[in-house]
Amino acid sequence: MEVFSVIFIHNIRYAYPNGTVALKNISLRIEKGEFVAIMGQNGAGKTSLIRTLNGLIRPTEGAIYINGVNAESKTIAELSRNVGVIFQNPSHQLFSNTLEDEIKFSLKTLDLSKEEIQSKTEETLEEFNLLKFRERSPLNLSGGESKKLAIASIICRDPEILIFDEPTLGQDAREIEFFIKLLEKERKKGKTIVIVTHNIEFTYEYIPRTILMARGKIIADGPTHNILTNRALVEKGSLVLPQIYRFIEGLNKVGIDVPRGLFSEQQVVEFVDEFLTKRLSK
Amino acid sequence: MSLEILNAFKYYKKHTFVHNLDPRTKLFFAVVYTVIALFFVDIIPLLIIFLTLIPLLISSKLMKQWFKSIKSLSFLYLLIIILNTLFYPNQGLSFAISMLLRIIIMLTSFSIFFLTVDPNDLALSFIKMKIPYEYAFSFSLAYRFVPTIAVEARNIIDAQQSRGYEMQKKGIISQIKNLFPLLIPLIVNSIKRAFNVAEALESRAFGSENERSFYFDIRMSIKDILFMIYLILLLAAFVNLIIFINTGGALIYCPWLVWGLPV
Repeated sequence: MEVFSVIFIHNIRYAYPNGTVALKNISLRIEKGEFVAIMGQNGAGKTSLIRTLNGLIRPTEGAIYINGVNAESKTIAELSRNVGVIFQNPSHQLFSNTLEDEIKFSLKTLDLSKEEIQSKTEETLEEFNLLKFRERSPLNLSGGESKKLAIASIICRDPEILIFDEPTLGQDAREIEFFIKLLEKERKKGKTIVIVTHNIEFTYEYIPRTILMARGKIIADGPTHNILTNRALVEKGSLVLPQIYRFIEGLNKVGIDVPRGLFSEQQVVEFVDEFLTKRLSK
Repeated sequence: MSLEILNAFKYYKKHTFVHNLDPRTKLFFAVVYTVIALFFVDIIPLLIIFLTLIPLLISSKLMKQWFKSIKSLSFLYLLIIILNTLFYPNQGLSFAISMLLRIIIMLTSFSIFFLTVDPNDLALSFIKMKIPYEYAFSFSLAYRFVPTIAVEARNIIDAQQSRGYEMQKKGIISQIKNLFPLLIPLIVNSIKRAFNVAEALESRAFGSENERSFYFDIRMSIKDILFMIYLILLLAAFVNLIIFINTGGALIYCPWLVWGLPV
């Protein structure tokens, strides 16, 4: 059995102590540097699945290998060095007096020297445009900024796998833009990124691979552009077709030939622009 | 793990004799048992009191939940046994066992109360006891948020562990320091939620009328009255018993009542 994928999940099952089964027969392989979305209805098991990846919950059956090592043999603290999970609600983890301390708290668990912690903190605050707030309390940041800080407090530990739970929720357009740039940067460093999201447009435009879950099972796993445009699957996963896809479908219906391979808003806008100028100049 | 104790107070809707009693009757029940548990320092009477609770636990189908919650406090029992045995002047072990029984009786009776009273009825019964609505409501609200806060605590622990936070640390001082990353978010979030709840209440015109009407009502039934009479008789019996013991009668006529271990 080959176990050298960054994340290799072999037939896991998880039931909560009260008996509710959250995950059933999940098998999954994610390679280094991949960018993956996990989608599905609320209660489909998405959050349970990511919790198993850093050991917060241990599957009742099956095994998880992170970098080829069985996760069962490692503690949460050990796993969290490789797998950084960023949860939905930043207020669940912010507690220090200043932003600077908040970042340092995350770094202190890594056996770094004092100087290294200091320089790493500066670097992270700089990267996230939070330097000007360094003396502020993390408790009175705005929603977007506290989310940024929560992300920063995981990314500063430099885990090779980053897992986000609903990162775009409640973010304004600017913050989402910042987040997309951040993801690009992390991907260039070779990080593996997994995003749990309900944001169909975001997934369709940016994330190449989608895993679709329903009732604790994976019902589809493959290229996003195949999965999110498949009516039957989309229905089964309680999603809707992406707006851009529906727009192109509409254009096709009225006889406008749209070339294949347009997935982002920008591409479609450019196409329509070109099309209209051509039409009008005729 | 330490959250297991909360199971002792989680209400599930069931229809048994105890569940169907009026909340006021059940409050009276819990108070009576607490009081009689405080009367005695001997093992046998306390054991008898405890045994009278067992039929109630069985008939209300709460044995499992009760056992779980009792088990979750085992460290406290250990503490009681060790400290009393070491520091109580004579017959320390007997005294320790009595104190243990006392705690278990109180915990059991209040846990029966909380496990069988619907939080909504609780507020109603407070109002019937002439407690102002605002106070009754805030009590039932606090009660209702216990499971919510338990879930939140779990999420906070998970979020902190994801950034390398370790639950177990050596040394008392670092253990206390180690609580801050958990307690501060929990307290801050609870306060934030309190403000949100207050705003939500205000926007639904909470407190706009002085006289409030209720959709549901609670009433004392014949069962309640019978159970109350039973409790009063029980109380009377145990008051007699304590007088019997304290005046030395037990020592002469029924020495087994004040039996204790030689140590």
